[in-house]
Amino acid sequence: MLSSQHLKLRTGLFWSVPVVLLALPLLTNDYTQYVFNSILIFVLVTLGYNIVIGNLGQLAFANTAFFGMGAYASGLAVQAGVPWIATIPLAGLIGAFGGFIASAVALRGIRLYYLAIMTLAFGELMRWLYIHAKDITGGTDGLALPVQSVFGYALTSDSVKFYIFLAVTVLLVKATLNLLRSHWGRAIMAVRENELATAALGIPTARVIIMAFVWSGFVVGCAGSLFALHTSYVFPESFGMLHLIVSFAMVLVGGPGSVLGAILGATTLTLLPEYLRAFPGMEELFFGLIIIAVLLVLPEGLASLLRKISPLFIERYYRE
Amino acid sequence: MFMQLTLSGLSQGAIYALIALSLTVVYRATTIVHFGHGDFVMAGAFVAYVLTVLLGVAVLPATILAVVVLFLLGLCFSRGLIRPIRGGPHIGFALMSIAIGYVFRGIARMIWGREVFPMPRLFDIPPLFIGNLVITGDALFMIGTTAVMLIVFFAVLILTDMGKMIQAVYQSARGAQLIGINVNRFNDLTWGIGAALGAIGGVLIAPVSLLHPDLGASFLIKGFAAMTLGGFGSLSGAVIGGLVLGIAEQYCGAYINSALIDITAYLVIVVVLVLRPHGLFGRKTIVKV
Repeated sequence: MLSSQHLKLRTGLFWSVPVVLLALPLLTNDYTQYVFNSILIFVLVTLGYNIVIGNLGQLAFANTAFFGMGAYASGLAVQAGVPWIATIPLAGLIGAFGGFIASAVALRGIRLYYLAIMTLAFGELMRWLYIHAKDITGGTDGLALPVQSVFGYALTSDSVKFYIFLAVTVLLVKATLNLLRSHWGRAIMAVRENELATAALGIPTARVIIMAFVWSGFVVGCAGSLFALHTSYVFPESFGMLHLIVSFAMVLVGGPGSVLGAILGATTLTLLPEYLRAFPGMEELFFGLIIIAVLLVLPEGLASLLRKISPLFIERYYRE
Repeated sequence: MFMQLTLSGLSQGAIYALIALSLTVVYRATTIVHFGHGDFVMAGAFVAYVLTVLLGVAVLPATILAVVVLFLLGLCFSRGLIRPIRGGPHIGFALMSIAIGYVFRGIARMIWGREVFPMPRLFDIPPLFIGNLVITGDALFMIGTTAVMLIVFFAVLILTDMGKMIQAVYQSARGAQLIGINVNRFNDLTWGIGAALGAIGGVLIAPVSLLHPDLGASFLIKGFAAMTLGGFGSLSGAVIGGLVLGIAEQYCGAYINSALIDITAYLVIVVVLVLRPHGLFGRKTIVKV
C-alpha cells in the first residue's frame, strides 16, 4: 500500500505531465510537432486496445476496425457540415457501437480464440465496406476533410491541433484510470484472472467482456476522429494489417494491462520507426521482431522496468 | 453452370481444407491457434518459387524441398519461440504466432516488394471436357493431391502407432506424458507437420492465385472459416468445412454478387459463431465448476 504522501505525489506527477507538455509547441518545428501529434493519437489507440488485450486478457483484432470506424464517422460527419470538434464524441460512440457488435457473441459463451476470430472477421468486413461502399466512403480514394476551425481559429497548424489532442488524451486517460479503479474495471481484471471464479461471485462475466470492448471501442473511436483531422484524409489503407501489428507491438512493449505502459509503448514505437517507412517490408519485420523480443525477454513491458525503479509507478486497482 | 460452380468450388475448397487441417493439427496438439499460419503457407510457396525459377531446380524436387524447409521452420519456431514462453499467459502464444507471421511477410516484401509473380505449375494437366463441363488441370490436380494427402494423413492417424500417440496427446497432454510420450518433442513435431501441410497448400494454390507476399493473410481467414464451420478442433470437420466454404463462395459469387466472394469467409465465421458456436461437427464443451 502506498502512503497518502505517495498518493499525493503521484497525483501531482500525473497532472504535471500535461502541464509541462503545454510548452511543447514552443520547442518544435512543423515536422516534430506532427510526430508528437501522432504520438497522442497512438497513445489513445494503445490505451483502448490495452483494455481488451491487457486488462481483459482476450485476444482481439478489431482495434483497427474501431479506429477506422471512428475516422470514417468523423470524416463523414464533417462532410455533412458538423464542426469537427463535435464529431469526436460521435466517433467515440460509433467506435463503442463497433465494440458492442464485435463482442456481443460473448453472450453465446464465445471466448479467447473464437472471439479473436470473430473480431478478425468483423475487422475485415469493415475494411471491405470502406472499399465497396464507394458512394459513402469514397472507396479506395478515401475521404478528404476540408480545413476545420474551432471558435474561429482555423485548424491548419499542428500546434493548435496539439492542444486539442492533448486535452482529449488527458481526459480519456483519466477516464480510463477511473474506470479501471471502479467496480467494472476490477470485474474486467477478475475475468482475466479467472472467469469461472468471477462468475461464481455473481458477476455477469459476458456483460463485463462486452463492457470492456465498448470502452475500448470508444477510446479508439475518438482516436480515429483525431486521426481524421491529423492527416485530413481518411482512406482504407490506413486501417489495414500494418496498423494491427503496430498496435499489438505498442501494447506489448509498454506492458499489457498498464495505462502507463500504453503511453510508454505508443511513445517509443511512434518515435522509433519513422525512418523505416522508406523500405517496403521493414515495418512488418521490425514490429514482428520487437514483439518476439518483448515476449521472450520483457513480457511485462517497459512499465515493469519503471515499477522496479519506484513504487510510484505501480498501478494497483485493488487493496491488498 | 451449377455443376461447373460446384466443381471449381470443390477445387478451391480442397485448398481451404488442407489449410484448415494443418491449423487443426497444431491446435489439437498444443491448444494454440496459429495466427501466422497464412504466412507459413506463403513462405512455402516462395521457397518453391526461389528453387524453381531462380535456381533452376525441377518443380517436383523443389516442392519436396520446400515442404522439408517449412517442416524445419515449424519445428524451430516451436522449439525456439513457443517453448520458452510456455509458463506465460495463453495469449502470448497467439501473439508470438502473429509476430512470426509478420516477420515472414516483412522479409518477403523486402525482397519482392508489392509485385505479383507467376508460379510454375507442378504438372501441366490438360483440361477435361465432360459434356459442357470443363475441369481444368489445376482443379483436378488440387482435388487429387488434397484427397491423397487426406487419405495418408488419416491412415497414419488411425492405423499406426505414431497415430495412436498423436491421439493420446490430443486427448490429454498430461496423460500422454505419464505413459512416457515425450510431449515436448511431440509438440515440436506437430508444428513442423502443420507448417509442412501448409507449404503443400501454398505450392498448390500459388499457380492459380499468383504469388505475392500477402498471399497468406487471405488464406488464413479461409482456413479459420473452414475450421469454425466444421467445428473447432475436429479434423474431419475442418476438411468438410473447407469444401463447403469453397462451394459456398462460388455460389455466392455467381448467384448474388461477385464482390461477395471476398467476404463469404467472414460472413461464414460471423453467422456460425452467432447461430451455432460449436460448428457443424464440433462437440459442445460444457464448463463444470
